[in-house]
Amino acid sequence: MSRHQYAMVMDLNKCLGCQTCTIACKKLWTDRDGTQHMYWNNVETRPGIGYPRQWDQVGGGWKDGQLQPSKQPTLDDYGAPWEFDYEQRLFEGKKKPVMSSPDPISGPNWDEDVGALNGDDNFYFYLPRICNHCTNPACLAACPRQAIYKREEDGIVVLDQERCEGYRYCIAACPYKKIYFNEITGKSEKCIFCYPRLEKGQVNACAAQCPGRLRFVGLLDDPNSAVHKLVHLYKVALPLFPEKGTLPNVFYVPPFNPPKRANYGKSILEDPRLPLEYLLYLFGPEVKTIVVRLEAELKSAQNGTPSELLQLLIGRDAETRYQIRPQLVQIQPRIGGHS
Amino acid sequence: MKTTSIPLLAAAIVLLVSSTFVASVDAQQKLAKTAVPDRTGLSLHASDATASAQTLRNPMAPDWTRIPSQRIALNRTPPLYDTEVPAALEIPYVDVRLARAEGKLIVQMIWRDATQDTAQIATLPGTPTEGRPHKELTEATDRFFDSAAVMHPQHAPAEDVWPSLQMGDPGQPVTIYFWNSARGAARMQAEGRGTTKRTGESFPCQATYLDGAWNLAMELDGIPSGMPLAFAIWNGSQQDRDGRKYFTTWLKLE
Repeated sequence: MSRHQYAMVMDLNKCLGCQTCTIACKKLWTDRDGTQHMYWNNVETRPGIGYPRQWDQVGGGWKDGQLQPSKQPTLDDYGAPWEFDYEQRLFEGKKKPVMSSPDPISGPNWDEDVGALNGDDNFYFYLPRICNHCTNPACLAACPRQAIYKREEDGIVVLDQERCEGYRYCIAACPYKKIYFNEITGKSEKCIFCYPRLEKGQVNACAAQCPGRLRFVGLLDDPNSAVHKLVHLYKVALPLFPEKGTLPNVFYVPPFNPPKRANYGKSILEDPRLPLEYLLYLFGPEVKTIVVRLEAELKSAQNGTPSELLQLLIGRDAETRYQIRPQLVQIQPRIGGHS
Repeated sequence: MKTTSIPLLAAAIVLLVSSTFVASVDAQQKLAKTAVPDRTGLSLHASDATASAQTLRNPMAPDWTRIPSQRIALNRTPPLYDTEVPAALEIPYVDVRLARAEGKLIVQMIWRDATQDTAQIATLPGTPTEGRPHKELTEATDRFFDSAAVMHPQHAPAEDVWPSLQMGDPGQPVTIYFWNSARGAARMQAEGRGTTKRTGESFPCQATYLDGAWNLAMELDGIPSGMPLAFAIWNGSQQDRDGRKYFTTWLKLE
């Protein structure tokens, strides 16, 4: 158990699906050879196939204290990078339209805004995802080289590039498929929760750039942090697929009140545009309690009662959303394992 | 570990595997006589070569045919992790030739492998990336590549007390000459399982895949007689990497 634990809460009611977080992360960390398919942060449409394709259907994680079997995503599951034949079209006299090669079959947010039908109505929402920096990381347990470790000072899970030999047991073990293999270096890579930024008192790049202001970052054990309040005080945020047993430290405020045409203001419990079953699938049975809690808070606020919770969720400024505490975090040299 | 117990065990495994394919005792005895390798793992002979080290770096060089070939039984590591599926013994043996030339020990390994698991890695680390687009990925994201290794203790071990086959022991380091069909050769060190460390050095190594078999030549340092050697083979199509592999017992270099 680490002494402190950085955590992130994402309010799914506010995500625009604009991918600004994705690009912020990509430009900062995965703009290198061998990282084309790496999205340490991605935003996927739900319901949907996700990224990599069907990651939520292939197992991994824990059950009864045992790592569960899974599989590694193939290049097709990520979507093979393709090029366009501009040269042939522009300089070599090709008459047909510009085409892509190879023929794209999948990619990040491949089924953007497709969603699913709920009765006659379509519904979807966006699910931004990063590494969950779990308290009980399956990836860490699966690595025979102790290349993955959880930082004692802040609970961030990192992958030592010196120790990694590219065995990829971690990729299979992670139920969220948030570790990627760099075939150029022959090593695996993952989200580092922007720890170099946090150590300088700056929030994660994905959070800093988010125009929807849906991300909250701080120490889960800091009672003054927004993440602590949303998870432990108001209890309105849940981890994704809690049954996987890894104890994620990224939490989500579920989409609880999407307006339905001609029926504005009714919750998913009264007249669901978004079927509760799908939220139960993603977040487990506790999500219903949270929806009830959020609905009650909303109605109370609409009746004129001030709501600190809703003000917090609105998160007007960075000071409200982020409580980065580099002074609490004593950076420790790595202990144990092999150098 | 006693030097004699493991080779006997290896021979017993070969006999056991053989017995599953024959019906009668006679046939079993006949097959056992032919199927058991010429050497069951007690020792290996290195010949003084007339050809140059440079020549013998080519595993297909005709000069190799003058060196006696020694067939060594391969064993399969049992499943190491809860999530691991047991693997079949697709590669039952490796043929090894050892030649001494110009102070070097040159090893030729030939083994049958129905699938050639390798890839052209787009570019290797250290290549300048400035001014060119990112290299495209190959299909390597979820694939593993055929590999092989030769291991020996760094220091001459005491009689009958050889280091663990699992990458040596603390205080008894081993050197590992590792070849990967997609990534080339790397010299490693280890002092026990999970401690393998790259030295940053490479070594001369050439491989040819021909007619369903890998032909590999590695140029090792001049390892003295009496030193034990062990061999390992990873079959990419069987998802081999790490300790998931084929291995021999320690074999004493004569």
